[in-house]
Amino acid sequence: MENITIGSAVSTGPGRTDGMLQVGWLPDGYPMEIPVIIQRAAQPGPTVWIHGCVHGNEYCGTFIIHKFLREMKLDRGTVIALPVLNITGFQKQQRMSPFEGYNGGDMNRCFPGNPGGSLTEQMAFSVFEHLKKHATHFIDFHTAFTADTRWALFCPPDGKAGEAAEGMARAFGYRDTLPTPMTILGGSALIEAAKLGIPGLIVEAGGIGPAFRPETVAEAVDRLNNVLRQIGLVDGAVEKHEDITFFSNFAWINARRGGLFRPAVRCGVTIKEGDIVGRYYDVHGDLVEEARAPFSGVVLAVGAGPLMPNGEILVHVGLDPRAA
Amino acid sequence: MKTIEIGTARSTAPGTTKGFLKVGDLPDGQPIRIPVVIVRGETDGPVAWMHGCVHGNEYCGTFIIHDLLRSLDPKTLKGTVVALPILNITAFETKQRMSPFEGYNGGDLNRCFPGQANGPLTQQMAHAIYQPLKQYADVLLDFHTAQTSDVAWALYADLPGDVGARGRAIAKAFGYRSTLPAPGDILGGSAMMTAAKDGIPAFIVEAGGKGPAFTDEIVADATERLRNVLRHLGMLEGAVTDYGAQWHFSNFAWVHSTQGGLFQRSVACGDRVEAGQSIGQYYDLHGLPSGEARAPESGIVLAIHPGPVMSTGETLIHIGLNPREVHA
Repeated sequence: MENITIGSAVSTGPGRTDGMLQVGWLPDGYPMEIPVIIQRAAQPGPTVWIHGCVHGNEYCGTFIIHKFLREMKLDRGTVIALPVLNITGFQKQQRMSPFEGYNGGDMNRCFPGNPGGSLTEQMAFSVFEHLKKHATHFIDFHTAFTADTRWALFCPPDGKAGEAAEGMARAFGYRDTLPTPMTILGGSALIEAAKLGIPGLIVEAGGIGPAFRPETVAEAVDRLNNVLRQIGLVDGAVEKHEDITFFSNFAWINARRGGLFRPAVRCGVTIKEGDIVGRYYDVHGDLVEEARAPFSGVVLAVGAGPLMPNGEILVHVGLDPRAA
Repeated sequence: MKTIEIGTARSTAPGTTKGFLKVGDLPDGQPIRIPVVIVRGETDGPVAWMHGCVHGNEYCGTFIIHDLLRSLDPKTLKGTVVALPILNITAFETKQRMSPFEGYNGGDLNRCFPGQANGPLTQQMAHAIYQPLKQYADVLLDFHTAQTSDVAWALYADLPGDVGARGRAIAKAFGYRSTLPAPGDILGGSAMMTAAKDGIPAFIVEAGGKGPAFTDEIVADATERLRNVLRHLGMLEGAVTDYGAQWHFSNFAWVHSTQGGLFQRSVACGDRVEAGQSIGQYYDLHGLPSGEARAPESGIVLAIHPGPVMSTGETLIHIGLNPREVHA
């Protein structure tokens, strides 16, 4: 059995190996390190790379990966898990690293990374080198804003790797799913892995910060185990999920005004262009405007409020839903 | 009718008056202004002063006050509601507890009353707010949140005599089961204790959690309870609802974490806990259990850390001690 080395995690045989991968330096010269778990079965098989908290405050994904690892029984192949990629954002409870000063620091636009780039590009490079080397399949856990978020994206959308990716999405089985065109989300780990022929899945489960429930975590772990059965790492029949809806693309609507805000729609509901998606109030408590949907489709995510600064994501709409 | 003037809100007659009170200056010289709403009824009666977001990210209170204001009609109101729904506006904007412009004293506005006209920023804010509060308020109703959306408890300043008795009756009318008659030697510098010592019955509601951790249902329920307080004060028509027996506590225990890590709580607000009982689980970065948090005292859970991450020194749990069932 060949060694797998990711930072201080050196896996030489079956079982679980934990370690840390250095992805940069802190301003005081301490290393910036992220956790790595390698789990191998005795039998050879595919290598599934799973990571979370690319955006530092999307904790639900970390909890899903952790619970999955604590409970998993692997029949063949390897799972490599990095449950907390953006560790300094994670510590500060924010999306981007507090040490990123130049390019906005959205790590999921920085892959495959640059060893001579900004902090987040260097972090992305440190991670992606290993992903590229080891992964045969890739799963990335994110959240949106509210606890009721549940949708998924897979990529590539077609071809042989696309078939594998679609199989993963169907095995995970969230109803709302986007076959992701290669032309969007450039710099995301999903797209950059797909360019290398690695089939990938992004799961959007739960909301930022503490906005998620233990039930959401437990259910996502069950679905993740189903993906592992689909790929062949775990024995057993793949559970079929009903009623998958595919979209042609999504529209991300930014707020055109600020104010106190209450959403009026939930994730998963179908909206028509012009429907009220939320209400703005002023500091005296008076209703000042109703925010309306500029597109028809299915609500994938909605701004949680209670405040809405100008330019924040108001609603995220899946376009042209079709039964698949 | 006596004029009530708070910043640019100047009320001289029945009706609703809106304006802003300047509580300081921003570093660019623009004023720090907070919203003021005065609703005066056609019939005379008490002045109920209510405020929220003393801590900037406790939005639920702002929404409760706003909900009440939208429901008030000067034609049927007896007396006056003075509402300042957002006290700590710069912290409100930046979604944090304290003002981002406070550099010196930690900036907990609810430890700065009655304030100082020439102190640090938060002291000056407290001073600007407390002057009209002291001048006009017959009762003070102060809306806070804790950390999670299931928070529902209340406190009143339990000073000897009439101030404490009237505070207790307000707490009864609001009717949250978990209620602390707050002894006069705690929460110094809070608006509640400061007002009570100036003879104004004062009451704090803790409803919902910080940031977005509250629901429209929590707001609607608390607003109805607030209306019940106004009925009790004779300011709104209608029978006063009896929400039933309450637990009165002798005091509370506010416990800080001495361990950090990923955290999942295992108890809810309102649960009874025994000293030593597990209240949550810590995990390390690899997802392995790294310790259990335990209740340091017995009592009723008033607030608990929401997780999912906690550093040392954060508020782990807040326990109401020695619950005693009170029926009237």
